[in-house]
Amino acid sequence: MGIDFLTDGPIKEDVISFYFEKMNKRTDTGGHSIFLGQVRADEISGKKVIAIEYSAYEGMVKTEGDKIKETILLEFTDVRSVDIVHSTGVVRAGEISLFVLVSAGHRQQAIQACTRAVEMIKEALPVWKKEIFNDKSHSWRQNH
Amino acid sequence: MKVKVLFFGVLAEVTGSDCKYYNEVRSLGDLRLRIQDDFPEIVHYSYRISLNNVILDNEPLLNDGDELALMPPFAGG
Repeated sequence: MGIDFLTDGPIKEDVISFYFEKMNKRTDTGGHSIFLGQVRADEISGKKVIAIEYSAYEGMVKTEGDKIKETILLEFTDVRSVDIVHSTGVVRAGEISLFVLVSAGHRQQAIQACTRAVEMIKEALPVWKKEIFNDKSHSWRQNH
Repeated sequence: MKVKVLFFGVLAEVTGSDCKYYNEVRSLGDLRLRIQDDFPEIVHYSYRISLNNVILDNEPLLNDGDELALMPPFAGG
């Protein structure tokens, strides 16, 4: 199984298991921080979000994703690896659309770097989201 | 020169397409005007342009076969 930045549909347990297995095989790390982004069933003007359809500029996701990883490794010297998986396509409310794993020698930098990585993903990864409502209308969202 | 232009997010919806080729493009300025001529509504949206996967912060010269992308504000996560 090879996962690199983008996966079609929601992120499932097999992604978590894959990285869990990877963690179990290493002995240079003492702390891992995981962030999971989930689709929320927001209510907007009386309409309920039932899913988000993500689209991405695949070529650039790779470039920007690599840059995020490099920046984190430069800024946090105790961090040993950064893994990012983002959904494309339709992800229903309640499902997971973003997985970030930061592995470090110690817990402090694992936690801090994970937060930083999520913020960078929101800011720099060329991904777009279309909220789909229960009345079949939709709206394009942007990060603030 | 011939360039490929990608439209993402809401811009794919506005243009009704996610990809369009433009022939005999003279410059980025020329390309912008031609895109606006084809899709006048696009002026109501904010977006950034990338050239071969790099976001532009100037007006570079274009080359044959370049890939440009019109990208509304990002919304990952």
